[in-house]
Amino acid sequence: MRWVKQTYNWLESRLQLEGPVKDAVLHPVPRNTASWWYVFGSAAFTLLILQIVTGILLALVYVPSAGEAWNSLNMLNHQLPLGWFLRAMHGWGSNFMVAIVLIHMAQVFMFGSYKYPRELTWILGVFLLLMTLGMAFTGQVLRFDQDSYWGLGIGASIVSRVPFIGRSLVHLLLGGPIIAGATLTRFFALHVFIIPGALLLFACAHVWMVLKLGINEWPMPGRAVRRSTYIAEYNKLTHEDGIPFFPGAFWKDLYFSGAIIAAVVVCAAVFGPYGPSGQPDPTIIRTVPKPDFFFLWIYALLAYLPPSLETPFLLIAPVLAIAGLVALPFMAGEGEKSWHRRPIAVLTLVTVAVIWGVFTNLATYTPWSPKMNAWSSDTVPERYLHGLTPVERRGAIVFQAMQCRNCHSIGGQGGERGPALDSVATRLTEDQLIRQVIQGGGNMPAYGKNLSPSQVTALVSFLDTLHPHNQPEAVDSAERAVTTIPAETGAKSSTKVKASASPQASAAPAGN
Amino acid sequence: MKISALAGCVLLLAIMGCSHLPGAPKPGVEVPRPDAIMNFADLYHQNCAGCHGNHGMNGAAFDLANSTYLNWIDDATLRKIIADGETDVQMPAFGRSAGGFLTDAQIDALIHGMRTEWPAADEKPQGQTPPPYTTALKGDVARGEQVYQSACARCHRESTQSITSPTYLSLVNDQTLRTLIIAGRPDIGQPDWEADIPGHPLTDQQVTDVVAWLASLRTMTPGQPYAQPH
Repeated sequence: MRWVKQTYNWLESRLQLEGPVKDAVLHPVPRNTASWWYVFGSAAFTLLILQIVTGILLALVYVPSAGEAWNSLNMLNHQLPLGWFLRAMHGWGSNFMVAIVLIHMAQVFMFGSYKYPRELTWILGVFLLLMTLGMAFTGQVLRFDQDSYWGLGIGASIVSRVPFIGRSLVHLLLGGPIIAGATLTRFFALHVFIIPGALLLFACAHVWMVLKLGINEWPMPGRAVRRSTYIAEYNKLTHEDGIPFFPGAFWKDLYFSGAIIAAVVVCAAVFGPYGPSGQPDPTIIRTVPKPDFFFLWIYALLAYLPPSLETPFLLIAPVLAIAGLVALPFMAGEGEKSWHRRPIAVLTLVTVAVIWGVFTNLATYTPWSPKMNAWSSDTVPERYLHGLTPVERRGAIVFQAMQCRNCHSIGGQGGERGPALDSVATRLTEDQLIRQVIQGGGNMPAYGKNLSPSQVTALVSFLDTLHPHNQPEAVDSAERAVTTIPAETGAKSSTKVKASASPQASAAPAGN
Repeated sequence: MKISALAGCVLLLAIMGCSHLPGAPKPGVEVPRPDAIMNFADLYHQNCAGCHGNHGMNGAAFDLANSTYLNWIDDATLRKIIADGETDVQMPAFGRSAGGFLTDAQIDALIHGMRTEWPAADEKPQGQTPPPYTTALKGDVARGEQVYQSACARCHRESTQSITSPTYLSLVNDQTLRTLIIAGRPDIGQPDWEADIPGHPLTDQQVTDVVAWLASLRTMTPGQPYAQPH
């Protein structure tokens, strides 16, 4: 073993790394920071390494050309041994990385760690988050399938809205005016060289500052940060009640990183790789592209924004958000770190988390979007067809064939853009249903010109059967009066008889 | 050495078992091109089930798994109906030539699937040969009403099963009526041409007459929702 020692000494006498490494590893950290709350940063770094390793392996096979990318991904999935697992590791690694980076950021925000003297660490962190999201987006583009193609189209469309230079920016992004051969090469360069290079550089600087400035102490109510005294207080704390980083705090980082890698492996093995979904061919219009999980909230938000607000929001909101995050340590660089004394910070985080959760959840089932194949694939539940008259049954066919189902669900299937119609007859009378179908309103288009009178009548007679057994259908109060009063006086006719039951209805004049 | 050998074996087993992990992609592409789908179950579910019901029955529209129907109608007619749709009823055109999404090969796959994959299609019609799909005979309205009274009115007399309303008649064409009379709808209890009058199957002429009578009940302004006020 002597030669090992000799080699080590030979290298060490030249590199002289032992001192700095020892300093870094054994530097004292406040005892109470050896907490499970402080493990997310190191986990993010571990995931970055995992992504680099799996990414390099993928790059050995992947062909970054619009014509070949999709095929090379399918080859990885189906022909190369464990190729699918490699893709799954990289895909799930990406998901975990974004999640861990977000959790890390929320924890740092909650613990007030961005305050003096760690402002620059926070700012680099903000850019690391943006770069992580950039990696996630460019990675989604490189998984060149239908989701990727249309996601890229949306991205280019957003960029094109920048005033004056929008067109040039699109050319820069796509390598031309359209998604073509140069586009994927460009995104490959972004995903493999430019962003990861910057990411590694920033991450190293970020970690360097953590080592140099020390890990943020556990926030205690009443222990406020002051620029004049903080460093002295921190040094006192670490020397009086500190433990060496290794192994005192390090083992938790190690365990957590191990657990995260294990979680990525399990997810990859159980849930498999992401796609590639359909071939990225713009002539295939029967597709419902969706962004990846961490961009779902933007997808939902853009769907809900009125068109006039889209451009201002897309161009101004990100700038304001980034400016706000960068300005945070300068606006609140001093003062309390504890969440017990920072109600606005807590409320901000909760609000952002709730908004993010709600929009993400909405985007998973896209209630704003019609389900374009519901009419031909979702059957009318048998219980709703049982005992229908021939006209009502024809109405059910009109309901399907005229694609009402694409926006209105029955039996839990169909679109959700309009209300579910399972009990529509308890809400609307026959007259109201006719008016609604013909004239639309309340966000529903008018179908008067698209349906024949017979179709409307049949459709409404079917809709009129949609009510629970224990709930009667809605009836016009005037009609009730007409049908009740004559009954008391011995008369027996109602003014209103359903056409389905009355052949004489044909004698009525047209144009209702 | 033993430990590394053991670890090697475990790794080898793990790699060999990897294609059986739940996350391993299934053979073929995840989302095929819409025009490359040739599987009958998928094609039928995506395009037909909405109206004709799962497995061709209990849907709002005609039960395609009806054995009498499948043995009665020929491939060319089915192909034409699927590709071009039908006028005056709610059957849309699915063929590319008529603005739909299905290729000729997909339509053929649908017809082949209907004939081979539904158990009902295996049942041969019992008894007599049904009247032909189309007829050259001319219907007689007066005779048609008589046939209707003896063969159909037993069930359709009730207002809940009335098929004489102009609204209903404007939503079906003569061929739909003929198909419904001859093939029936066993899934909802409507008998076919043999069982309308037990023991006396309807003849081509009788079916044609009933259709002619029902057609004569059509009006210029169907679809009036209310009766004329008294």
